[in-house]
Amino acid sequence: MSSAMASTSANLEPLFSFLAQSYTTIENGFNRVPGSAVIARYVRSSHQNDPGRTLLELVLAVFAIWTLLQSRTRADKGDRHFIQFSEKEVDELVNEWTPEPLAEPLSPQEQAELDSIPVIAGAQGPRPRLANTGKTVLNFTGTNFTGLAGNDDIKNKAIETLRKYGLGSCGPPGFYGTVDVHMDLERDLADFLGTESTILYSQGFSTVSSVIPAFAKRGDIVVADRGVNFAIQKGIQISRSTVRWFDHNDLKSLEDVLEGIAKERKKKKAPLTKMFIVTEGIFEKDGQMVDLPKLIELKYKYKYRLILDESISFGSVGRTGRGLTELFNVPVGVDRSAKQSPSHWEPQASQVDMLIGSVANGLASCGGFCAGSKYVVYHQRINSSAFVFSASMPPLLSVSASEGINILRNTPSILSTLQENVRTMRSVLDRLDCITIPSHPASAMFHIHVRSAPNATLHLPGASAGKPSNPNSIVPRDPQQFDIELEERLLQEVVEEALSQGVLITRARRLRAQEMVEARPSIRVAVSAAFSKKECEKAANVIKAALVKVLGKRR
Amino acid sequence: KARGRSASIVKVENVGPSSQEEVLDQSAYANVNAEWVNRKGAWLIHPVLIVAGKILIDTLPGMTQQVSWTLTNTLYIAFSYLVFHYATGIPFDNELHGGAYDDLTLWEQIDEGAQYTPAKKWLITVPIVLFLLSTHFTHYNPILFAINLTALILGLLPKLPQV
Repeated sequence: MSSAMASTSANLEPLFSFLAQSYTTIENGFNRVPGSAVIARYVRSSHQNDPGRTLLELVLAVFAIWTLLQSRTRADKGDRHFIQFSEKEVDELVNEWTPEPLAEPLSPQEQAELDSIPVIAGAQGPRPRLANTGKTVLNFTGTNFTGLAGNDDIKNKAIETLRKYGLGSCGPPGFYGTVDVHMDLERDLADFLGTESTILYSQGFSTVSSVIPAFAKRGDIVVADRGVNFAIQKGIQISRSTVRWFDHNDLKSLEDVLEGIAKERKKKKAPLTKMFIVTEGIFEKDGQMVDLPKLIELKYKYKYRLILDESISFGSVGRTGRGLTELFNVPVGVDRSAKQSPSHWEPQASQVDMLIGSVANGLASCGGFCAGSKYVVYHQRINSSAFVFSASMPPLLSVSASEGINILRNTPSILSTLQENVRTMRSVLDRLDCITIPSHPASAMFHIHVRSAPNATLHLPGASAGKPSNPNSIVPRDPQQFDIELEERLLQEVVEEALSQGVLITRARRLRAQEMVEARPSIRVAVSAAFSKKECEKAANVIKAALVKVLGKRR
Repeated sequence: KARGRSASIVKVENVGPSSQEEVLDQSAYANVNAEWVNRKGAWLIHPVLIVAGKILIDTLPGMTQQVSWTLTNTLYIAFSYLVFHYATGIPFDNELHGGAYDDLTLWEQIDEGAQYTPAKKWLITVPIVLFLLSTHFTHYNPILFAINLTALILGLLPKLPQV
């Protein structure tokens, strides 16, 4: 045993001596480094007879140095989707790249679509002349509901105004662009509708997409109909507000969604934010009409503000064309019948908070307006993008619109003619069974859908009919299924057939990839008061014949 | 609100922009609220404030070095936690960003959320160095040492990079 120990100690002897030697060299080297005494004193004083402290300090020092040596990462924004290419790959990609032409040649479908658009020679109107054939056709495409387009009185007034004011107003309304005729038109519209005030916009499309973000901001709640038009969808997206959808024109679904939001807010004890209901009077997508009194009742019950887009219904429904509010006898803006104390303005007295209309559709001029109480309109003069950053409408068009209002006030027969024309056409077309018309019977603009084959719509009645759709998504629980290309092709054939017989109609043109939910292809027929009853009957029969000819062969 | 931030002080979570629209709103204008940490004097102000605070605390009657250093340490960490990790949003010019920064603390707004930038490295180093200095100059009893250490760890946790 002693020999074993002796041998191991003999083996380890040089190792120990090597260690002792290296230790002394390190110590000497350390002592020679300037500042070593400081470090030694520091460690000794922090040690304080507790090796744990020194260990902790060592860990912290190492952590700090490691942190300082880390290289910085990229900012949040591009990081997740950023693919790291090597230099070679970058070079390859650059060499392969060929620039796209500025104007790409059209695909065959696009070329066919372009060729199918008829060109009119001369002014727009109810009976235009086609440029290529020279025939006169009946125009059921334009939203000339009151038939005021090309009216001679309006034309003369416009020419006078053109001589007096020139053509453009040369500026945004807030910056030297407001002319006295604009203020006259705003006053005329306010009087016509019975609101306190209105504000004019120069383009009908951008009106509602600017009013919504003027009032609703990030964190506010907007409850919107699933079938609202593209401008409203864009307005809601711009406003960055929290949006909840309810089923198209279904006020029961609206009530459920409002209940759900109230419960959610109570549960989370979230602070009270502004809440809006956004819907249209007559929907541009399919011509259905909303039940305004029930809607107002719901609005008061849950304390929401109502933004009603009457772009189609202003100038086409009601006894004198005032829109849905006249049809249902609902006061707009300030309720003059209620007793109000002048010391405070009371939101309960108003019924529709923001009523948006289109001067282009209703009065055959151009632009749009928003009517409401004084405060609603004042707010928009600074806070509405389309009012602040767009040029105001030309004075001659404002005068045309004012004249249009006068004509509407003095000849209520325009609206009754329009309603009769609508009834005539609907009575002919409703009887066809190869199509469906989802629009309200009184709507001056109605859509014709191809009726889908009965076995294509497999609705299992018990399973999903009772369950509500998810309000966070714009797609309803069981969306309609339709073949877009097939239906567009069929409808285009119908349109061409009708055109050959002298009736100009059109398919509803959609931005296919940009809307939040795809709209069903349809033929959009806009009736006008400028036609006589005979012309409407003839047109309806032509359309009916075209539909039967094209769609009847499908079966 | 879609992203709720948890109220716990030890949880490290990722609260970045959740949609393309938020990214657009954030990058529309420069974020003045978060930019100042990279400007002149923003780094020097930390040791200056610490020294001034220590001197102020030392003037209180009956103050010992132990308590003084502990107070400096914990107050610095508490104050910097309040400014960098508790308050969310932007106090001025909020309309320029449309509320896109409402859920983000100052730490997450600095350098648009990039990690290990010079400003962030400095802000991590300062409490560590302060802690080391304070343990060096005093003889902490275990309780005070534990207090200082806890404060340091709670102050360092939110500065760790979010995964």
